[in-house]
Amino acid sequence: MLKKFVFLIFISLGTGILSRYIGLNSRQALAISIFSASVLGTLFFWDFRLSFAFLGISILLMSHTIDIAHVIEFSSLDVILFLVGMMVLVGLMKDAGFFAWIVGLILRVKNITALKFVVVISVVSALLSTMTSEVVSIIFMVAAVLEICDYFEVDPAPFIIIAVLATNIGSAATVLGNPVGILIAAKAGLTFEDFIIKAFPLAMACLLVTIFVVIIWYRKTIKQMDERIKELGANEILVKLISVPTDRQLKISLAIFGATLFFISLHHRLELLWNLEPNTILMTVPLFSSGCVMLWKWKRARDYIEKDVEWWTLLFFMLLFAQAGALKYTGATDVLARNLSRLAGNSLPALISIVLWVSAIGSSILDNVVLVAAFIPVIQSFQALNLNLHPLWWALLFGGCFGGNITLVGSTANIVALGILEKERKIRISFFQWFGVGLTVGIITTVIVWLALVFVPFYRY
Amino acid sequence: MTREIKSVSLDASAREALDLLQKMQISGLPVIDKDGRLAGMFTEKDILSYVLPSYIEKVGRFVYEENPKSIRRKFAELDKIKVSQLMRKEVVTVSEETTLCEAARLMLTQKARRLPVVDKSARVVGIVSRGDVLKAMSQEAQGT
Repeated sequence: MLKKFVFLIFISLGTGILSRYIGLNSRQALAISIFSASVLGTLFFWDFRLSFAFLGISILLMSHTIDIAHVIEFSSLDVILFLVGMMVLVGLMKDAGFFAWIVGLILRVKNITALKFVVVISVVSALLSTMTSEVVSIIFMVAAVLEICDYFEVDPAPFIIIAVLATNIGSAATVLGNPVGILIAAKAGLTFEDFIIKAFPLAMACLLVTIFVVIIWYRKTIKQMDERIKELGANEILVKLISVPTDRQLKISLAIFGATLFFISLHHRLELLWNLEPNTILMTVPLFSSGCVMLWKWKRARDYIEKDVEWWTLLFFMLLFAQAGALKYTGATDVLARNLSRLAGNSLPALISIVLWVSAIGSSILDNVVLVAAFIPVIQSFQALNLNLHPLWWALLFGGCFGGNITLVGSTANIVALGILEKERKIRISFFQWFGVGLTVGIITTVIVWLALVFVPFYRY
Repeated sequence: MTREIKSVSLDASAREALDLLQKMQISGLPVIDKDGRLAGMFTEKDILSYVLPSYIEKVGRFVYEENPKSIRRKFAELDKIKVSQLMRKEVVTVSEETTLCEAARLMLTQKARRLPVVDKSARVVGIVSRGDVLKAMSQEAQGT
C-alpha cells in the first residue's frame, strides 16, 4: 500500500515537472499533476477514489488554478442529474419486478440448447444494457446465468464472461448504456438519434462478431452443456422457478419507463419543434419521470433518492469532470491537442486511430469514465485546429466501452459480475483466463470500429 | 444476562454450529477464538444469507415458486465451510457495568437481538437478550 502511494506521488509530481519542462506554465502543470494523482488514485486505491477527488479539487481551488464558478461549470451537472433521474427509474423498475421478469423470461426459453443459451444471453445482455446501463444489466444477467448453470450443473464462468462481453458492447449503442455515452453526448452535442443511427448499428455488428468468436472460443464448454441438457432433460423447474405478479404497479412502472424511453428517443425532434437548446429534453426527461415516480410512490421517494442513487460514484464523477475541466481552463489540453495533432501529421485518420486505440487500451486498465473525462477537453481543443470532431467522439465512445472487455478489471460490469460469481460459486477467474477471450474480442471489435470510422464516409459527419 | 452460554470456535464447521443452534433452540451463538476472546457472532440469518443467492436483493420483486437447485448444494457445503467464513465480525458488545438503558439503546440503534457481555480482555462472560433487558427494566420499575 505504501509502495503504491509513493509511486502515485512520484508519478504525479513527475508528470507536473515534465509538463513544466516541455513548456507548460505552472497552473497547467499543477492541473495535470492533480489529474494524474486522481487517475492513479482510482487505479491503485479504488475504495478511496472519492478522497483523492476531494483533495485534488481542494488543491486546485486553493492554488488559484481554477475558481469555484468554473468548478461548478465543468462538473457537468446536466449529466449528473440525468444519471440521478435514470437511477431513480431503475430503482422503480426493480421494485416493480421488471428485471426479475426478464430473468424469468430467460429461464423459460423453450427447447434450450447450449448454442441458443449463448445467443440469448448475449443478445439480452447487450439490449438490456442499451436501456438500463451496463452495471444494472449485468446483475440480472448473472442471476439468470447462475440459475441455468446450477440447474444443468455446468461451470458458469464462461457464460458469465460471455454475458459481460456482450453487456460492454451493448453499452456503447445508446446514450443510456454507459455514463460515458451521456457524457460524450452532452459535450459533443450528439443526440439519441445520432447514437441510434451511428453507434447502434456498429455496436450490433460487433455483437454479432463477438457471438461468433465466443461460440468458437467456448466450443468445448458448449458441447459439454449440450450433453448435460440431454442427460437432465428440459428446464422444467427453471420454467416455474420464479414469478412476478403482473399487477398495477408493474404496468404503471412499465408505462413510465416506456414513456421515458419514447421521449428520450424523440428529444431532438421535440427540441427543434419547441425551439429548445440542444439536449434540453434529453437531460430533463429522466428528471421529469423520476419526479412523477416520487409523487406516485411518495412513501418510497426518500429510499429511491438515498438508496438507489449511487451518490458516492456521482460525486466522484462531478469532481473528476471538474478536474478534467481544469485542464481545459488552464489551457493544458490546448497544448496537448496541438502536440497530438502535430504527432498525427494533422491527419484525421491518424488522430481517429490514436483516440480509439489509446482509449481502448487505457480503459482496459482504468475506469472508462476517468479516461473519457480526460480525453474530452483534448478533443474539444481540436476544434480550434479546424478538425472534424465527429469521428473522434465516436472513437472515444467505442474505445472507452470496448476496451473494458480486454481485462477483468476493464469495466464496472466485469468487476460486479466476477464479484457475484466468486461469492456464489467460489470461482475466481484468473487474469489470463479472462485476458485470452477478452483481448481477442477487444481487438476484433475495436478493429471493426476503426475500419468503420476511418473508411466509411457515413461516420465522418 | 445468561451466564451459562454456549459458543462455537472459529474452526467449527457451519453445519456443527447450525446443529447446535437447533439443539439449543436459539437463533445465534458467540464465536470464540483459541484464547477465549469474542471473534464474532454466528446466527441463523448468516446461514440463510449464505444459502440463498446473494443477488436476490438486487434483482428486486419476485416470488420463488420452486426451490432453486443451488440451495441443496449450498446446504451440503455447510460441512466444509468454517464458522469464521460466515459469521458477522463486527459485533456490538456490552460489559457487566453497562446500564440497562444503554444496552436497550444499543439493541434498538444497532438492530441487535442479543448482546454478548465481555470482560476487559474481550472474553465472553454472558449474553443479554431483549427479553432479559425488558424483564430487568420491568422489575426495576416495579421496585421504585
